[in-house]
Amino acid sequence: MFRNYLLTAWKVFMRRKLFTAINLLCIVLTLVVLMVIASLLETAFHPSGVEGRSDRFLQVFTIRMDGHEDGHRSTSPLGYKLIEKYLKPMPGVERVAAVTLPASVSVYQGPNVSELQMRHADADYWKVLDFRLLAGRLPTAADDAAGRMIAVLNASSARRLFPGAPKAAIGQRIDVGGQMFEVVGVVEDAMHLNAYADIWAPISTFTSSDYRNELTGMFVALVMAERSADIARIRDQVAQIARGVVADDPKEWKRIYFWADGKLDLFARILTNSDDVPDSGAGKLLAGITVAMIVFMLLPALNLVNLNTGRIMERRSEIGVRKAFGATSSQLAVQLVIENVLLCLAGGLIALLATAGVLAWLESADLIPYLKVELNLAVFGWGMLIATVFGLLSGVLPAWKMSRLDPVHALKGAI
Amino acid sequence: MIRLSKVSKTYRTDKVETLALKDVDLHVKKGEFVAMMGPSGCGKSTLLNLIGLLDRPGQGSIEVEGIPITRYRDKQVAKLRNSTFGFIFQSFHLIPDLRVIDNVELPLLYRKMAAGERRRVAREALEKVGLGARMDHYPNQLSGGQQQRVAIARAIVGQPQVLLADEPTGNLDSKMGEEVMDILLKLNEEGTTVVMVTHDEREARRTSRIVRVFDGQLVA
Repeated sequence: MFRNYLLTAWKVFMRRKLFTAINLLCIVLTLVVLMVIASLLETAFHPSGVEGRSDRFLQVFTIRMDGHEDGHRSTSPLGYKLIEKYLKPMPGVERVAAVTLPASVSVYQGPNVSELQMRHADADYWKVLDFRLLAGRLPTAADDAAGRMIAVLNASSARRLFPGAPKAAIGQRIDVGGQMFEVVGVVEDAMHLNAYADIWAPISTFTSSDYRNELTGMFVALVMAERSADIARIRDQVAQIARGVVADDPKEWKRIYFWADGKLDLFARILTNSDDVPDSGAGKLLAGITVAMIVFMLLPALNLVNLNTGRIMERRSEIGVRKAFGATSSQLAVQLVIENVLLCLAGGLIALLATAGVLAWLESADLIPYLKVELNLAVFGWGMLIATVFGLLSGVLPAWKMSRLDPVHALKGAI
Repeated sequence: MIRLSKVSKTYRTDKVETLALKDVDLHVKKGEFVAMMGPSGCGKSTLLNLIGLLDRPGQGSIEVEGIPITRYRDKQVAKLRNSTFGFIFQSFHLIPDLRVIDNVELPLLYRKMAAGERRRVAREALEKVGLGARMDHYPNQLSGGQQQRVAIARAIVGQPQVLLADEPTGNLDSKMGEEVMDILLKLNEEGTTVVMVTHDEREARRTSRIVRVFDGQLVA
């Protein structure tokens, strides 16, 4: 029976080539958009590439301080003092890394000036993230302690500043905003949340040591667990620590909040402005995204319902004949739905190829710097699942309606 | 074989109510060849559809081999249609996307039968109507007479007890109509009960009984 369903579906698709093409186009466009978004979200939120261990670390991005007066509030990145005094001594964690947010710097090479994004990071940073070293070495705790003026470049910046192989940059000196650094390492480009930068230097290379005395500043802390199972405990631990932090000026600030978040929680907290409650709002965000995706799928699905109804109406005589010769309404409905699901799965396969093309274009077009996104098996699986749901959504209603046709009217070509 | 008792059928649209059949009593015996005649719109096709369980009566009852089917559900009726009846339509109603052999196999799809067996039985049915060489053709590659013979092969492939033919020669020239009629008579001789709607008096005279319908009622 199933073979016959397939055969009939193939014949129907081939007989109405224009209809099939329009249907496929509709499915492919929808799925490509969904799958490109899914791939980007997957790259952003799932452990991958340089942040392949992100299931084992949390990031503390901002500190919020509420003043005694209503509405008096300050939200900013962390100061190094907060990380050093409160987070680094945390028990039961593998390590806590401190890194600044990327800041724009000017790199001088004779008459040439390059604008690069720079981070200052401690030695733990290089152990939390999984950078691929292309040449030289990564900074160590000893470099940090000694305040060595060294820097690591990413591959693109190394190529731009010192054309040739990555190792051509090693040992070269660069002028960054008036400070001279020796390039000791070149790493692969990365666009991930905590990794994105062109150049890195040890924290101790700041021109002033004032940063050590500040609760707020330009730092982010990465808290790495020994096992991913410890993440929930560490989150609670950080929340506990936050309650005990005293502001430098307690007369001005009465309450301090900061949270250790996974990447999705962090993103949700920023979007939903939930920086004073433990719940990041990720659940609501996911629900919103799910509803948006369903609505996004529903519109073309409704269009397909319309197209399918028209297509099936053309076949009412066939439906009448099949009923006359013993087909039940449910058998006919299954046949019509299978045809639709097959069409959607074919659309899904085409959409996968098209998505791979779009992602390759996105990578090469440099719209998102250093983007590296892969169409992996999970996205493939989701794509096919979405295609199947799409097929069911757009096929069930017309199939059910048409399968209920009474055979006499169907044979006469009426509804 | 089939008994209709006090069967009435009314078609309703938004504004119009049409009485298609009124208090019809009809008994089709096993092995009979019944011709139904009457003017256009008199209710012949409605009667044929009721006999073949393609439609349900508004009032009255239908029995197939002594079993009343009025309360049968869709699935039960479908099964009974598949096992008991074969249909031949004036406009053939072959599925244009399917090859001749696939069209003939259609009734067997709704039975538990292996694909190889289906193919063998369908081939035999086509050979019976003289179209064994046309199995891989599509309906639009055949003449009207050949298409109707494919439709007959499809109707008999499941070895139904009753063949229901609604003006089977209506779209054919006299020679092809004659050929189709010969096949129906031969099938009847082999034991198949046939009920045929026709306008052709000559064809009707070749059957074992003529039933005349006028204004939704049997008149002879």
